[in-house]
Amino acid sequence: MELFSVSGLSERVYMSKIGGTIREIHYMETLSSRDQWVNQIHPLVKFVLTVIYILAVVSFYKYDVAGLAGFAVYPLAVFILAELSFLDSLKRLRFVLPLVCLVGILNPFLDKQEVMLAGVPVSAGVLSMTTLIMKGVFSVLASYLLIATTSLEKLCYALGMLHIPRAAVTQFLLTYRYITVLLEEVDRITQAYLLRAPRQKGIHFKAWGSLAGQLLLRSLDRANEVYESMLLRGYQGDYGYMREHAVPGRQDRRYFIFWMAVFALFRACPVILVIGSIF
Amino acid sequence: MSHIHIDMENVSFAYEKGEEILRQITFHASETDSVGLIGANGAGKSTFLKMLVGLNLNFTGSIRIEEIPVQSGTLAQIRSRIGYVFQDSDSQLFMNTVYEDVAFAPRNYGLPEKEVEKRVEQALRMTGTMHLKEKQIYKMSGGEKKLISIATILSMTPDILLMDEPSIALDPKNRRNLIHILNSLEHLKIIASHDLDLILDTCERTVLISQGRIAADGPTKEILTDQVLLEENGLELPLCMRKG
Repeated sequence: MELFSVSGLSERVYMSKIGGTIREIHYMETLSSRDQWVNQIHPLVKFVLTVIYILAVVSFYKYDVAGLAGFAVYPLAVFILAELSFLDSLKRLRFVLPLVCLVGILNPFLDKQEVMLAGVPVSAGVLSMTTLIMKGVFSVLASYLLIATTSLEKLCYALGMLHIPRAAVTQFLLTYRYITVLLEEVDRITQAYLLRAPRQKGIHFKAWGSLAGQLLLRSLDRANEVYESMLLRGYQGDYGYMREHAVPGRQDRRYFIFWMAVFALFRACPVILVIGSIF
Repeated sequence: MSHIHIDMENVSFAYEKGEEILRQITFHASETDSVGLIGANGAGKSTFLKMLVGLNLNFTGSIRIEEIPVQSGTLAQIRSRIGYVFQDSDSQLFMNTVYEDVAFAPRNYGLPEKEVEKRVEQALRMTGTMHLKEKQIYKMSGGEKKLISIATILSMTPDILLMDEPSIALDPKNRRNLIHILNSLEHLKIIASHDLDLILDTCERTVLISQGRIAADGPTKEILTDQVLLEENGLELPLCMRKG
C-alpha cells in the first residue's frame, strides 16, 4: 500500500484502496485499446468464440481431465497473440481464482470411488475437483482475455448485433461508465475525510449517513453531467460505433472458423491422450 | 439577417417552484461575435448557457438558434449546431482515449469512419493536441483535458461555441495557450467566466448578469474598466487593470 505524508502531521495517511481499483479499471482499458492483432478482431467474433469456448469447457464429463486439458490451448494462444503477461493476469485475478478453486474442494471427501485415468487408478473425487477447477479457471481466463482485448464499447456493439435489447446494452454501458464516476467520488470523499481525521483508522460510523448522502448527491450530479455531455454530442441511446466494421471481415471469419475447428476437434477427441499415445 | 445567430426574447427561467434564476433576458448575437458572460457566483451564467442547448427547457419567452426554436422537438437540430464545453473536463470526457472521445460526436452523427478520422485530426490540429491523439484520458493533465474538451466539440464542426469557465484550474502557460486557441476560432462564441482577464483577451463584447438580469451589455473594454459597475454587481476590475 502506498503511503504519503501530510505536512504538519506525523501520522501517515493510507492512500485509499479505491484509487487502486480505479487504476485497475484504467489498466484494463489500456490493455483493450492496444493495437495488437487480437484486439483488432471483430468484437462479435471474440464474444461468440468466448461464449462457445465456455459452453464447450463446462460440457465436459466430470472425470474427463484429459479431454479438458486440451482446451488450455485457446487461452494460451490468445495470451501469446495478444502479448499479455500471464503472471500479471493471474495477479489481477487473484481474488477470483481462489474462489473458483474452492468450489470443488469437498469433492475428494464426497466422491471416494476410484476411476481409471490412462490405466492408472485415481480417486474420482480428486478428478472431479480437478475438472471443476479447470473449468472455472479456463472460463475466467477466457472472459479476462475477452475484456483485455476488447473495449466495453465494442463489446456492447457486439451485444447490439446479437439483438440484445438496446435499452439493456445502454444500461450496461452507462453502468460501467458510472462505476468509475462513483468510485472517483468515493475516493474524493474518503480522502477528504481521512485528511481531516488522521488519527482514525476508518470512517466513524456517525459520519456514514452524511457521507453516503453526499456520495449519492455528488455521484448523481456528475453522472448527470456526463449524460448531458453525451446528449450534447449527438448521443441518442446508441453508440455510433464501428459503423465501417459493422460486419466481420474476411480475417475475422478465418479466425472464427479456425477456433471453431480447434474447439470441435478438442471436444470430439482427447487430443492430449492421442498425442501422448504416439510418444 | 446572418445565417448564424442566437436570439433570446424575454426569457425567464426558474427551477420547479423555485425563485427565478433568470428574468426577462433579451439577447442577440450573430456570426463571429465573441461574447463574454460575466457575473458573480449564482448570477445565472451556467443556466443561461444550458438554456441555449436545451438542457434547461422549462423557460418562458423565446429562444431561437439560427431560426430554430429551442424546444424538445428540435434539440437534435440545435445540438448539432452548438458545441458546449463543460466547466469540469472530467464530465466532458468519458471515453477511454482521446481519439475515441473526439470521434464520439461525428460517429453519433453517422459520418463514415474516414470522415470521422479527418474531423478528429482537424480538431486536434486546431487545439494543438495532435500528439495526444492516442493518449488515454485519465493519464492527461488538467490543461490537456481542457484542450481535448474543446477538440471534442470542434469535431462536430459547430457554428456556435459555448464555454463554461474554460480557464478554471489552468496554470498560466495553459491559460495563455487557451486564450491563443480561443482567439483563433472564428465561431460565434459565448464564454462564461469569472476570469475577467480571459474575457478581456478573448471577447470584444461582454454581458454582465446580476440577480438574474442583464445589468450591462457592451464593448468588453468599456464594461471591464467600469469599476463602479463591476463592484455594484459583486465583481472586481480585471487583475491587469488594477493599479499598484
